[in-house]
Amino acid sequence: MIKLEGVTKIYSQTSVGLRDINLEIGAGEFVSIVGQSGTGKTTLVKILIAEERPTRGRVNIGGWDITGISSDDIPYLRRQIGVIFQDFKLLPKKTVYENVSFAMEVAGEPGGRIDKVVPQVLGVVGLGDKAGRYPRQLSGGEQQRVAIARSLVHRPKIIIADEPTGNLDALNSVEIIEILRKINEFGTTVLLATHNREIVNNLRRRVITLRGGEIVADDREGKYRL
Amino acid sequence: MFVSLWRVTKFAFQDLGRNLGLSFMTVFILVLMLLSVNMLWSVDVLTSQAVGMVKEQINVSLYFKAEAIEKDVQEVNKYLGSFPEVVKIDTQTREDVLKSFQDRHRANAEVLQALDELGGNPFGPTLVVKTREPQDYKKIFTALAVPEYENLIEAKSFDGQEVGVEKIQNITNRVERLGFGLALLFGIISFLIIFNTIRVAIYTQRMEIGIKRLVGASSWFIRGPYLVESIFFTALSVAISAGLIYFSLRLLDPYLLIVFPNGFTLTNYYNSHILLLFGAQTAVVLLLTVISSSLAMRRQLKI
Repeated sequence: MIKLEGVTKIYSQTSVGLRDINLEIGAGEFVSIVGQSGTGKTTLVKILIAEERPTRGRVNIGGWDITGISSDDIPYLRRQIGVIFQDFKLLPKKTVYENVSFAMEVAGEPGGRIDKVVPQVLGVVGLGDKAGRYPRQLSGGEQQRVAIARSLVHRPKIIIADEPTGNLDALNSVEIIEILRKINEFGTTVLLATHNREIVNNLRRRVITLRGGEIVADDREGKYRL
Repeated sequence: MFVSLWRVTKFAFQDLGRNLGLSFMTVFILVLMLLSVNMLWSVDVLTSQAVGMVKEQINVSLYFKAEAIEKDVQEVNKYLGSFPEVVKIDTQTREDVLKSFQDRHRANAEVLQALDELGGNPFGPTLVVKTREPQDYKKIFTALAVPEYENLIEAKSFDGQEVGVEKIQNITNRVERLGFGLALLFGIISFLIIFNTIRVAIYTQRMEIGIKRLVGASSWFIRGPYLVESIFFTALSVAISAGLIYFSLRLLDPYLLIVFPNGFTLTNYYNSHILLLFGAQTAVVLLLTVISSSLAMRRQLKI
């Protein structure tokens, strides 16, 4: 599903994001990428969604070599990957419903389908009754659930979550991880970049540990080692 | 395509409605800029009109000697008529000049008595010549400065006005140069104002542009609403400024009618140039807003 071969990202002579990353993630896996701040987790996520381009190496997602993806094709890639960010990245001037429907509207989905799918996914994340609210009227946990709903509307094969619990309290963090776990149970590949020890240890899934931009461990049923 | 256009338009009006403060400020600045341009334009039109009116009143009279016969006058008339600079020549016969003199001095019995004592008509025919520009008169005089014509013409009325005409010409040239300089300055200021207004509007929404890009919006879905907003801002600001201009002109026109006896009013001027004036302003403002928004958005779209 995801394959990285010799991926290196160099920002400047003194700043290296990733060094020679070789990685293969199969369909339906739930993989945690762990490491302290500045170890390259976010750089890896950015390369996977084509926000950054690797300096060297090849990146393949679902059989699509995105190493040299053109800027015209980037929107198509992003519509196939659900992405969840630490700061939620919701549109502040749009309601919960509009934030979710926007992702479908820009993909050219028919209005009838949008009217059907958006209430469904909002129901899945437990926000069916808050569709008309603006992000500022929601708690952090609720905002992250809107972001998850938005990432689900295209029924993506891959969900990438970059520190999704970074701005949340313990209770909301558990809820978000539980939603991700359920999404994974339906067959979606989940890639979770985090430095939350407790969450990783409770998941008991594959853990890839990064340090200084390099993979230092890849355990099938791992724990947070750092 | 239709669905996509409809959605882009919907996003644009949603943005407008939910960023009312920013929308108001953008339109306000555009209206101020348009009012300034129109004010400058009006001043230029009024100056040209005033200078034109003064020029209109300038002509030269050629007074022929009493013994000049009609054939001589016709010859000079024909000769002057061949100059491209000459716009109009009015011929006054000896009888016309006498009648005009008598009418002018009807109340003065002494003058009329003196005229009677002279016996017959002491006046020669007169040609009233009008040229395109005041400086053209010099050319006419040079052309007439040959013995053949000098013997026929007793006097030319223009001599005393020469200094005045030169002054008017100097003023006209200076006003035109000043007008061009001001127009250029306003053009640059307007461009900078529009560019900065749009840039600030887009800068405040840079985070949103980035988010739209990250959830898979194509450039068209990001640029489109700003294009629609630019069209809306342009149309609204031109409409508001046109309304304010016409309202101001209604207040100003009665004063202009006093200054310009030929019935010139700015309302009539704007009415007869409405498409050119507001069409050009719409085109320029739209072009500037679209270019400014494209330039300002370029960086955000790279995400």
